[in-house]
Amino acid sequence: MIAPGAPRLSRRLAEYGFLGFCWLATGLAILALAAILWSLLRQGLGGLNLDVFTKSTPAPGSTGGLLNAILGSVMMCAVAMLGAVVVGVLAGTWLAEYARDSRYGKVVRFLNDVLLSAPSILVGLFVYEILVAPLKGFSGFAGAAALALIAAPVITRTTEDVLRLQPAALREASVALGAPVWRTILHVVWKAARAGMLTGALLAFARISGETAPLLFTALNNQFLNLDLTRPTANLPVVIFNFALSAYDDWRRLAWAGALLIAATVLTVTIVARLFARESRPS
Amino acid sequence: MNAQLETQPETAVLDLPPEVVKLAIRDLDFFYGSKQALFGVNVSFAANAVTALIGPSGCGKSTLLRTLNRIYSLYPGQRAKGQVLLDGEDVLGPRVDVAALRARVGMVFQKPTPFPMSIFDNVAYGVRLYEKLSRADLTNRVEESLRRAALWDEVKDKLRESGLSLSGGQQQRLCVARGIAVRPEVLLLDEPASALDPISTARLEETISELKRDYTIVIVTHNMGQAARLSDHTGFMYLGRLIEFGETEQLFTSPVTSRARDYITGRFG
Repeated sequence: MIAPGAPRLSRRLAEYGFLGFCWLATGLAILALAAILWSLLRQGLGGLNLDVFTKSTPAPGSTGGLLNAILGSVMMCAVAMLGAVVVGVLAGTWLAEYARDSRYGKVVRFLNDVLLSAPSILVGLFVYEILVAPLKGFSGFAGAAALALIAAPVITRTTEDVLRLQPAALREASVALGAPVWRTILHVVWKAARAGMLTGALLAFARISGETAPLLFTALNNQFLNLDLTRPTANLPVVIFNFALSAYDDWRRLAWAGALLIAATVLTVTIVARLFARESRPS
Repeated sequence: MNAQLETQPETAVLDLPPEVVKLAIRDLDFFYGSKQALFGVNVSFAANAVTALIGPSGCGKSTLLRTLNRIYSLYPGQRAKGQVLLDGEDVLGPRVDVAALRARVGMVFQKPTPFPMSIFDNVAYGVRLYEKLSRADLTNRVEESLRRAALWDEVKDKLRESGLSLSGGQQQRLCVARGIAVRPEVLLLDEPASALDPISTARLEETISELKRDYTIVIVTHNMGQAARLSDHTGFMYLGRLIEFGETEQLFTSPVTSRARDYITGRFG
């Protein structure tokens, strides 16, 4: 039986109170995001011009752009993603398909979760210790290695999660046709999960494209255009870090423009990832 | 009458003449970890005939089916003891190539499981695993399989579309087409119609009756009307044991064991 009449006053008050808090919390989050975007657009749009994309970082007082930093960031992120996708997809597949309930799998899964939440500056120091110090030099490859170390656990995790979502019946159906397990994974399970796996990779890319701390000790910076990743390599986050703290107005303008570029890239990638995620959901 | 009841046997399993036997199961026990699900099953399935397995939920009929192509061995902890002889050869033996076995013993599942690829590729998937056919031969094989599964007329103009775009009944017939495209000798059907509406079920049943001419078919079903309509032999299982096995007509009209009679007349299960 449902009690007749309006709900009691105390229930209605609780309902309104709870709803009110939800709105307030959402509003605060959106307000913060809007404020960041607003100041980025206001300060960054003014600094955006063709020079930003065609000239390298200038000495104070002369004209210049961010070409070397943009190229450096693109190259390091590309190399990092290449490594992270291979390692992450294979590790995630192993965890989901071969080591689901094994003790060793549980240990690896736990360590991956630890790595997932490790402070990025520690990752930078770690790569400094194993790559930069022994080889006696900062390099773009060291930067890419640090970024890959941050991206790989994200991809491992998302890959495992989306593979686990695939029904057992799908695997059985392929195996029942006489397909070996590895072939089933490659041709059926990965195919069924590809949108989710791509989403994970895009989110990992969004994550590393703005990382500064791991690059400070690895790629360092480079004032000049450099396509050789064995040498110190300029990148947007570190340039922003240096220029934003400087006393020169033109450097600070470039820092804002760079920040806007990163934010726009991350926003675009996140939206694309969302679209893929929506497509992968069963209708 | 009472005296007759007392002399009824606990189990009654018909022995088929050896020349018609395709699959023979000998002293089969099955374990999920430490839990035993099948107890000493002995039965034979005839070639070019449909054998139905019936019984209440959890009686072990699906488990029995899953030992016949060793699909259970995907899961550590599941194991079978005894013999499953396919043309006299024990498929549970340690040196059996399970992938090759599964190409000889096909399976269709309860829920339709189309692969995330085109209708054509769904059917061609298994063929490509074992045969190097020319484009034309492969196209012929796909058409032939879809025709035999009674799906060709509905999909012939959209072979490039995703298998997921089909209706549930069509998806299940696609799975049947995929299963017969590799030309297996035995086809295992695990409640293939339980997710389908009556019209799709009727079409699937027609397909199965057609396929009997070339294949040995074993079907697990909850639908006793379906078992009676489709099968030549029926096995009734209860609590992991094969209670009664015989000619379908005989088992449905005059079961020998009281358990089978109670189940068929609806007194339990």
